[in-house]
Amino acid sequence: MAESDQEQRRVDQFILEKIDSVSHLEALLLLWNSRPKQWSPEELARRLYVETKMARGLLADLQRSDLIVGASSSNESYCYESRSEEKDQLIELVDATYRFQVVKISNLIHSKGSSAVRDFARAFRFTKKEQE
Amino acid sequence: MTRVQAFLLGITVMMSTTAGVFFLKFWRSTRDVLFLAFAAFFLLEAVDRTTLFIFARDNEGNPWVYFIRLLASLAILAAILKKNYGGGRHRTL
Amino acid sequence: MPEAVYLLGAFTSFLCAVLLLRGYAAGKRKLLLWSGLCFAGLGISNGITFIDLILLPQVDLYSYRLAATAISIALLLYGLIWTSQ
Repeated sequence: MAESDQEQRRVDQFILEKIDSVSHLEALLLLWNSRPKQWSPEELARRLYVETKMARGLLADLQRSDLIVGASSSNESYCYESRSEEKDQLIELVDATYRFQVVKISNLIHSKGSSAVRDFARAFRFTKKEQE
Repeated sequence: MTRVQAFLLGITVMMSTTAGVFFLKFWRSTRDVLFLAFAAFFLLEAVDRTTLFIFARDNEGNPWVYFIRLLASLAILAAILKKNYGGGRHRTL
Repeated sequence: MPEAVYLLGAFTSFLCAVLLLRGYAAGKRKLLLWSGLCFAGLGISNGITFIDLILLPQVDLYSYRLAATAISIALLLYGLIWTSQ
């Protein structure tokens, strides 16, 4: 459970900026909780009860957002790689928050509007910045 | 104005309006002023061309045309500049 | 005065096209491709308008201008309809 307002805001901001859908969040948290296990699209599809094609898309999106890494290029597999303590702490916070506030976080994600639209707006930034 | 030109003008107005409405929808869901600027751009285009057509001065040799075009272009430029250099630290788009 | 407006219009359109196509190159988001192509086309249309009314007033390029604009916005609409949910 998020301890403070500030932590709550960090979680909200993370969700708003980086998470495109509930499925993306579930996939990310699955990889986080099983780290450093490597997942293939087929495995993920079985676990999340979605089609392999969708799982492949989820993993590619998460990788593009720099949230997970592709573990090897020869066969498609991905895993969560701990690269910074700050990032780990944040994901752990998100995980804990999501467990207790599924509905709130789902609503937050759905309120964002389609990710294609957000990418359109983002394209008009002259420089790519990580945070605001 | 030939029939082909009238046809092209008509479908352009229709498509511009539709695009404008899409951007209005995006503005409503994202609250990002950029989309409002694009909506204005396309809706003004549509209004512009329709007015021209009605007053039968095609070929755009009319001063009002430039004024409205100018406004539309400036709106987009202003929105882009604001997005990049404007204040406000809590925009996530 | 009219010259400036058409050139500004072309500049704005090409700027949008560059930003959108750059965004497409980065993330492969289809909406950016179609809208980028639209603005490139609108930029071209503005360019043709400039040529038509300012540089070559004796030639009538109206049909070409209209066609370029119509095709451009059609591309945009295709992108908008397919990719937004």
